[in-house]
Amino acid sequence: MKSFQEIIMTLQEFWSRENCAIVQPYDLEKGAGTFNPATFFGALTTRPIRAAYVEPSRRPADGRYGDNPNRLGKYFQFQVILKPAPAGITDLYQKSLRALGLNLKEHDLRWIEDDWESPTLGASGVGWEVWLDGMEVTQFTYFQQMGSMPLSPISVEITYGLERLAMFLQKKDNVYDLDYGGGMTYGDFHKPQEREFSRYSFETADVALLSRHFNEWEADGERLVASGDPLPAYDCVVRISHLFNTLEARGAISVTERAQYIGRVRGLARKVMQLYIEKNQPEAQHV
Amino acid sequence: MSKKAPAKKAAPKAKAVDFLLDVHTEPLPARFVPPALAQLKANAEKLLAGRIAHGEISVYGTLRHLVVAVSGVAAKGEDKTERFKGPKEQVWKTPDGAFTPAAEGFARKYGLSAAELKPQDGILYAEVHSKGESAAALLQALIPELLKSLQFPKFMTWEETGFKFGRPIRAIAALLGDKIIPVELAGVKSGRAIYGHPTYAKAPAQLKDPAKHRKVLRDGLVIAEPSERRAYLLKQLEAAAKSAGGRADLDDALIEETVDMAEHPTPVVGRLRPEHMDLPEALLKMVMKKQLKFFPVLDASGRLLPSFIGVRDGLSNGNALVREGYQRVLEARFNDAAFFFGRDGAATLESRLPQLERVTYQKQLGSVRAKATRVENIALDLTQGRGDFDPLVVAKAAKLVYADLVTDVVKEFPELQGAMGGTYARRDGLDEKIALAVEQFYFPVAAKSPVPATPEAALVSLAGKIDSLAGCFAAGLIPTGSADPYALRRQALGAVRIVLEKQLTLDLEAALATALEAQPVKTAEPAKLAAQLVDFVWGRATSHFEEMGFAVDEIRSVRAGALKDLLAAYKRLVAVRNVRRDPAFEPLAAAFKRASNILKQTKDAPEGAPDRAKLVEPAELALYDALVAAEGAANDRLVRGDYEGALKSLVEIKPRLDAFFDGVMVMVDDAELKRQRLAVLAKLVRAFKRVADLSEIQAAAS
Repeated sequence: MKSFQEIIMTLQEFWSRENCAIVQPYDLEKGAGTFNPATFFGALTTRPIRAAYVEPSRRPADGRYGDNPNRLGKYFQFQVILKPAPAGITDLYQKSLRALGLNLKEHDLRWIEDDWESPTLGASGVGWEVWLDGMEVTQFTYFQQMGSMPLSPISVEITYGLERLAMFLQKKDNVYDLDYGGGMTYGDFHKPQEREFSRYSFETADVALLSRHFNEWEADGERLVASGDPLPAYDCVVRISHLFNTLEARGAISVTERAQYIGRVRGLARKVMQLYIEKNQPEAQHV
Repeated sequence: MSKKAPAKKAAPKAKAVDFLLDVHTEPLPARFVPPALAQLKANAEKLLAGRIAHGEISVYGTLRHLVVAVSGVAAKGEDKTERFKGPKEQVWKTPDGAFTPAAEGFARKYGLSAAELKPQDGILYAEVHSKGESAAALLQALIPELLKSLQFPKFMTWEETGFKFGRPIRAIAALLGDKIIPVELAGVKSGRAIYGHPTYAKAPAQLKDPAKHRKVLRDGLVIAEPSERRAYLLKQLEAAAKSAGGRADLDDALIEETVDMAEHPTPVVGRLRPEHMDLPEALLKMVMKKQLKFFPVLDASGRLLPSFIGVRDGLSNGNALVREGYQRVLEARFNDAAFFFGRDGAATLESRLPQLERVTYQKQLGSVRAKATRVENIALDLTQGRGDFDPLVVAKAAKLVYADLVTDVVKEFPELQGAMGGTYARRDGLDEKIALAVEQFYFPVAAKSPVPATPEAALVSLAGKIDSLAGCFAAGLIPTGSADPYALRRQALGAVRIVLEKQLTLDLEAALATALEAQPVKTAEPAKLAAQLVDFVWGRATSHFEEMGFAVDEIRSVRAGALKDLLAAYKRLVAVRNVRRDPAFEPLAAAFKRASNILKQTKDAPEGAPDRAKLVEPAELALYDALVAAEGAANDRLVRGDYEGALKSLVEIKPRLDAFFDGVMVMVDDAELKRQRLAVLAKLVRAFKRVADLSEIQAAAS
């Protein structure tokens, strides 16, 4: 039975053989693997890209103090981004499951309609969640828009939920009981984190400080857009997006404020995208 | 539908062959499949009509295949003559009969000379004859047109041509007889490869004969015909439920979805943990059906058994593994639900009410708390002066109906609103009548589903609907066309059904008007808006009555004041329908219409009763006397709510009315006599209108 780290290594090896660059996680807190510049900027231009990577994802509001066997405030995604979307990609995905040791003839694999939308990125896509014997183990998305612009060529994004997949493969009811590898359990590494970060997100995070940081990073992002530096400006987008998520988990954002915050993140993200296209692919400008 | 190739039987000509188009896609959402197949059939019929002779068009498919099969396609398309309208002859012909250059140009456009233009009624036409194309050429052009014509609930693009479809197209098989029809669409070139079930089939099969297509798919573990898949599924479910000692909860929507979620449905029976059986049944069923697409298993009395049936796409190999997986996921969901359910126990519904102030119902209509107060007022208003409702139950339930919206379970599973309210009301130790009214507040949830069970529950539910209707109308959220985001049509129909099925005598029109006034939004013309709202509700009542089998003219005849007492309007409607069977009825209605037309046309319509002493003709005296007698009899019956009896009494005056119209002139010069005669007719019209306005009745076209 594959350990958590062996599952990651298998997927890396599989997609590496499928001619993907195995890139590394991006070193900022973020809500999903889509925020990794490999995907965010990768999907944006007309240049082909094939990349795969593990991405830690933080969802402060999903933290459960380490008490819930299925919910985590921080978890890992294995993300594949392919552009143009290859024909036969669903078959290729099935092949990756076989590489993990699954005999698909003995399991129920289903594709359930699930379209993806990121209001903060002005991004949306069409696709599925993939159910393995009823458990959602993967999200599969054909990006359609980013920064509210139609995309061409279309990228396909495959996001394996590593903990879900590992729980499925290892037949574990509790995420913390997963065999991580090296004689450790997932809980050894992550339970203390979940406990303390849940407390942080829900109880002790300094709202005044986070709000100030949101304003400052937003302003800095605007400054960097003005000075023509989309990549550092994008870091500001990632930062304020996560600051917003933490503030929201902390209960510091009312319903009306929420829409405003999302609007501010989206506004900056959009400017960054436009600038990036202008700089890297002036001929593709369609805004 | 015949599954055998009808080609040999149906083909009228020797050369006619079968056509097959199989569009193989990545998994389509189940809800996309039935409408796509329906359009495929309708659009294929439209495209082929008049172009080429053919036999039966059949469509079938799965989440991965959209298929059209046409039997007996003729070898060639039909010869065609098209006519194009040109100018008037006199415009393009010089006086000496020569054509102008403009006429020559027109003819040239269609490959003709001006002399070949055909005059008809002074106009010149270009007639273009074309030989029917070969079937292959015709179909080659029609296939892309057909596929482009499909409308999906949501489109996507995935490849460089930017073709829009429900999901990516991966292969197209297009065969006419044994020949491939070459088309290229969305970057896919057509061929003869047929793809079986992706988990089981090895290489795609190469199809040589369109008639064998279903069989080839079946060999690849794909049951291609939806009706066949459905029958197979139902049979499997029945057997699986039996093995679990019960019967499957065959939810229609879930069946529909499951039919198009698997190409080869196979049931897997799993067990629920005993500790989860303590959770509310509504919660258990919802998680199984909505979240995991599992069929609950019920005992003979309809109670939930600790078993479920999941449906996998494939064979039963490894069913033990799949069961284990299903159970693990289900247990995780139930653990989550149990956690929320447990947390909700920390506070009573009553104690949650202040939180409703912070929940917005609608921007202009204020908080849910404010809505709850309005609903309570409406409900209490409706109980005024009557003994058939317990006002304490009504008031208490109306206060609590929205309290479950701020519980963890409903926040997590919004579709459990109401059901959880009832469960929590019981947990709080409230009277069962109150709990039931909270539980059934949103009833009826669908067109055919039950209305609230008790009078109090019905009244509170009705009050909720009245407030929603009034609120949305006041806020300008009036449904237009197919757009009805607040489901006001459903709410209006719900209100109508509650009044009728619970036999409530109440003034819906007044309640709607009062509810409009109570809204926080003030409108410029409240009377106009109230009338518009009444019309809207009457519109739903009308379609409901039509569905019950009443004729449109019968429904119209009871329109006046209908919402002031909808139950009475329904009884009047039944009376009209029943009395209509009397052969005297429709002629009477015609005579009635004549009477009301005379009244409508006259300027000096009489007020007050006719004076018998001033009537002269025997026929009018006879009518008057018959009318007085009939009115008396009708009144006795109306008092008892016997509208049919009342109408029958009135219909009895028919011979007198006929004699009146035969022998008496109404519009005479003697002004006083005319007034008296009009007064008799007015009395007659008033008498009938207490049941129905017979001038709306259309004579049967027999």
